[in-house]
Amino acid sequence: MQVTVSAVAAWMTSFADVVHANAAYLTELDSAIGDADHGANLDRGMKAVVALDASTFDSASAYLKKAGMTLVSTVGGASGPLYGTLFMRIGAALPADGEVTPAILGDALQAGLDGIVARGKALVGDKTMVDALTPAIDAYRGAESQGVPAALAAAAKGAADGRDATIPLVARKGRASYLGERSAGHQDPGATSVTMLMESAAAMHVG
Amino acid sequence: MIGIVVVSHSRALAKAAVALALDMVPGTRPPVAVAAGLDETTLGTDASAIAEAITEVDSPEGVLIFLDLGSAILSAEMALEFIDPEVAARVRISPAPLVEGLVAAVVTAAGGAGVQVVEATALAGLRAKEEHLGLPAPVAVVAEAAVEGPEFRLELVSPAPIGLHLRPVSLIAGALGAFDADVMIGTDDHEPVHADSMIELQTLGAGPGVALHVTATGPDAQAAIAALQELAARNFGEQ
Repeated sequence: MQVTVSAVAAWMTSFADVVHANAAYLTELDSAIGDADHGANLDRGMKAVVALDASTFDSASAYLKKAGMTLVSTVGGASGPLYGTLFMRIGAALPADGEVTPAILGDALQAGLDGIVARGKALVGDKTMVDALTPAIDAYRGAESQGVPAALAAAAKGAADGRDATIPLVARKGRASYLGERSAGHQDPGATSVTMLMESAAAMHVG
Repeated sequence: MIGIVVVSHSRALAKAAVALALDMVPGTRPPVAVAAGLDETTLGTDASAIAEAITEVDSPEGVLIFLDLGSAILSAEMALEFIDPEVAARVRISPAPLVEGLVAAVVTAAGGAGVQVVEATALAGLRAKEEHLGLPAPVAVVAEAAVEGPEFRLELVSPAPIGLHLRPVSLIAGALGAFDADVMIGTDDHEPVHADSMIELQTLGAGPGVALHVTATGPDAQAAIAALQELAARNFGEQ
């Protein structure tokens, strides 16, 4: 199948819309255990991504790299370099002609996760976006043989399960880690937003 | 002279910290660039802006980055991936406290010290505060240089009216940074400390009129002693 610039741009627009609609919710989650800026920061960054002129990019790969750079310069908080790395690594892993198999797309998502882990040094169980993205990619791999739409749907479900599983965790990374035991009982904002990203991808029925 | 970059979520905080630090060096100053905030008032860090700041103050002698917290660290690390790998190889990100580390670094760098000495001095930036508040002093992080040759001695008197306060201390440490010499200053009440470290000098707590025992070894020992004599003749810049 073909991953086109317009398909990826539509994914970004859909994610931006969800983030905008849930900005107050994300910030509320962040105010419980962080510095109360996740919703506003990501909303600002995704607005800048959506403002990119998709017609000026000749590949989905180039578009995603630029989207990542845009987040790096506009988000401000840790989600800037983290989401920025995610999109840049996915972009770098996509072939220039956009022709992908379910396995190649899975490899690209995995490259994005690897980039986030290398950047933020968080592991599964630290109460971060890694806790949603890791089971999402595992689920994608499990459903890969059924095609991209089914694999993305499985990824969205995996992310949501991972997100819900962050509630009892004690944070070991980021601003929330200053709270120690008091961070338990709250859902992680980063795991929540990255689940929105995977749900946006699944909702597009790419392919 | 090395270059210095200050990374903070707040542009106001970074600019004020730089102003505080530069106030300590009246003469030649190391190049300092700020990459802080998304604009004048919006809090945040930006890896692209940090990359530009590094390029702006880049020096063959190295660049040292000071930062506040959280995304500042991730963004600074990411910035190193955006710049020329040759430049990135001479950039170091300091874990030192922002204000104390920056003040120590600017003074030490102005004295011509290399990036490793500046980094070590900055890392010891909390020592004066810790010692004053009675916390156990950590192991000295300024490396002992191996020295050869004769030892030079000098007896000085801590300047009136305020003793070895910030200004005279910065002059001493700044002047000695240019010499290849191991200069130690002690008092009757305090064991000798490295005289090229303003942080260590402050721990002497030498009030006006206190006797300072100076020893110097190394290739430039005599020149370093002469420089100190000249500073003392000017009462360490105090009126």
